Amino acid sequence: MLILTRKPGEVIYIGDKIKVTVVEIKGNQIRLGIDAPSEFRIFRKEIYDQIQEENRAAADGDTGALEGLSEALMSGKVKTATDQPKSPLAQFTTGKVSDRGPEVVKRKKRDNE
Amino acid sequence: MSDGSTKDIPMITVDSTRFGTLEVPADSVIEFPAGLIGFPSATRFIMVEHKPPFSWLQSIDEPSLAFVVVDGFEFGKSLDLKPPIGDPVCDFNTDDEFAILLIVTVRPDPKQTTVNLKAPLFVNIKNKKATQVIYDDPRYSLRYPLWEDPDNTDKE
Repeated sequence: MLILTRKPGEVIYIGDKIKVTVVEIKGNQIRLGIDAPSEFRIFRKEIYDQIQEENRAAADGDTGALEGLSEALMSGKVKTATDQPKSPLAQFTTGKVSDRGPEVVKRKKRDNE
Repeated sequence: MSDGSTKDIPMITVDSTRFGTLEVPADSVIEFPAGLIGFPSATRFIMVEHKPPFSWLQSIDEPSLAFVVVDGFEFGKSLDLKPPIGDPVCDFNTDDEFAILLIVTVRPDPKQTTVNLKAPLFVNIKNKKATQVIYDDPRYSLRYPLWEDPDNTDKE
């Protein structure tokens, strides 16, 4: 690990696209400002650990518990599509990102069409 | 029965502890080059329909590994979940079509079932590559309850 010492207001560059600024130090807390391209996901380690744990819990799901849930969510509200697509992904709504932000491209079938 | 114009669609066989042996088109494979968080070597998946609105994301590499997923646009529509444009893992670019899968954590009590809004899965429709993205943002709940009102399927 590279260890550098900084004072409030000072900056560190990681490569030429990631910029870390020490914004403020208050007591035992430090506020860091991070500028990075959007493909770099920035998150606290605790969040990563929580997600890992949640993924693991989700991976243990069993089919039985879904039955009642499915019925409750679908009853009277949404009719199942009559034709089965080859890939379930085709049933999913998809979107596109343009300059105006995300917009829906294809809405999934909800009623018998 | 073949009608003479049937093309030979390359199929692959996937073993699943929940669904038995499945035969699916080879081009329906969704690739997660970086795996999922906590499952870095689970890189190839297929989707299996189940009871709507649920589908399963079944691992090809690990028969017992499968995640319940729902459509992120349906269940997270007001959240404005943006795909990771510029992400080198799945090569998302502006104007690429994408789908959002939200992982469902099913618990023995159906009313405790939750959806992970903090780490959605983005699938690039064009190249079928996908990645799990973390949103360290208090607006997005790690365990968003699916069952607020049994009659209400419009979740914000």
